[in-house]
Amino acid sequence: MSRTQEIEERLRAAFQPSELLVRDDSERHRGHAGYQEGGESHYHVVIRSAVFEGKSRIAKHRAVHEALGKTLMAQIHALSLDLGT
Amino acid sequence: MTDAKTKIDETNQANDVVLYMKGTKEMPQCGFSSRVAGVLNYMGVDFADVNVLADEALRQGIKDYSDWPTIPQLYVKGEFVGGCDIITEMTLSGELDALFEDNGVTFDKDAANKIREANA
Repeated sequence: MSRTQEIEERLRAAFQPSELLVRDDSERHRGHAGYQEGGESHYHVVIRSAVFEGKSRIAKHRAVHEALGKTLMAQIHALSLDLGT
Repeated sequence: MTDAKTKIDETNQANDVVLYMKGTKEMPQCGFSSRVAGVLNYMGVDFADVNVLADEALRQGIKDYSDWPTIPQLYVKGEFVGGCDIITEMTLSGELDALFEDNGVTFDKDAANKIREANA
């Protein structure tokens, strides 16, 4: 399973999202710190989920960090999150 | 960790607004740090910049301190506010203005409005 697929699976399981986008942006960061051949280092993630309702911005981000887990978080160089307002 | 924590506590107590970042506010070394420093510079906020690349203990220490895995990290009056995504969202929504106003941090409201107009 690719890292992208693993991210998608974990997020789907944790948040049952109504909308989910996991985009590998690594190529846009070619030559920057953290770039590696093959990509899967820089991600942009969009999630809309009822689980987030009533949660602060920080709480929502923390929930995503937790769902991905320490190992996966450590493998990703950059993670940009759009979790709604 | 203890040394790093003490250092962070002292820095946050001595400065109303602190940005822990990769590089400096004049020369950021990462796109995400650059974006947040750029917003604060543009808004004319007087903030302390701490370059975590210059201190390996601090680079990990700040992540442990806030239980937040990424850099940059913005603190206002010692409270962790967020990283790049959150600061960007708060800038565009006006929440960052409100936070600064509530904490007596001076900034250029016209500049903040210009950022919002440019991103509307």
